[in-house]
Amino acid sequence: MTPAEPLQEPSEPAAGSEGPRQRFVLDDQGFDEVPKKYRRFYRRWNGEGDSLGPNEALCPVCKIVVRSTRELRPGDRVYCMACMTRLVIVRSAAGHLEARVVY
Amino acid sequence: MAQEPLDLHALDPEEFREKVHSFEFWFEAVEGYLAGLEHGHRPQTPEADLDEAERERLITTLCNYCVGETAALEGAGGLIQIAPNRATKVFLATQTVDEGRHLEVLTHRLRELGVSQPDAEIEMRAGRHLLEFKRKLLQLVRGRDWVAAIFAQNVILEAMEFSVFHLHSQRADPRTREVLAGIIKDERRHIGFGENELGRRLRELPVLRERLAAVREELDPLVLRSFEEAMDAIGAPRGERADLGRSYLAAVERLGFA
Repeated sequence: MTPAEPLQEPSEPAAGSEGPRQRFVLDDQGFDEVPKKYRRFYRRWNGEGDSLGPNEALCPVCKIVVRSTRELRPGDRVYCMACMTRLVIVRSAAGHLEARVVY
Repeated sequence: MAQEPLDLHALDPEEFREKVHSFEFWFEAVEGYLAGLEHGHRPQTPEADLDEAERERLITTLCNYCVGETAALEGAGGLIQIAPNRATKVFLATQTVDEGRHLEVLTHRLRELGVSQPDAEIEMRAGRHLLEFKRKLLQLVRGRDWVAAIFAQNVILEAMEFSVFHLHSQRADPRTREVLAGIIKDERRHIGFGENELGRRLRELPVLRERLAAVREELDPLVLRSFEEAMDAIGAPRGERADLGRSYLAAVERLGFA
């Protein structure tokens, strides 16, 4: 599944030394568990064969894919509205980005 | 009226919490997946042609789901009285409505399967472990033990139901599958609420972990046995049961008392 169409925005200030972030236009992918105006920020995880885009993170509590309009980086805050959880993006020991719950 | 922010994730954490605990949010969320359903499934969804043994097993399973939902209904309703703040009381009011709906659609499903007196049937088929869990949960609620009751109800019971309903829905007849799918969507809010509420409490008062570990030791076996029985009735292969407690165990680990 394509996470979203990236739009490069070189004018955006870089976070640290990582360069400009990609921006994404989010489309409604039919996630019906949150109010309509927020649906584009979420999609279902399709299991094996699915993959996360640079603007996506898997909610560890309810396994819904949380989507952002920008490329995610360590320290970013995102919310899972399906289970009402606040998450922060971290780099795991294995080197990939993942979402951790912030209580 | 204020315009919604362009980026949901830019909301202040308190603003986010206030929003998702509201009736306004709940109305708009459930409308997305319950609109058009009658008694939890689409009216045109056909009734499956179950043989007698399959029908019997399904009735026993649904009767036990009704026991779990009744426990959650009474528990969530009772917890409103001792909830620490307005937003939490309002959220529990929405959960109480969800649990009432679950009990209603499951009872209706029993009627569709030919059970003429669902309440009597539920009483007759209820598993003793689940009844004991219900008794202990309501004891915690009556004892105004907020953290223990939230843990028992929104973490242990809801996480187990979430896993079992998910597994069951993958092999259920079409109507039961749709009923369970709607319930699972509600459960996502309930488990998230429980974990987040406890997480905040534990952060402020880490000593509570000992109390919750004791509650866990007492209640875990009851729920696990109850849902093992449900798995037998569903006919889930042993290999798939490893998933049963995974989300619950992950939540307990995140909360720091695995």
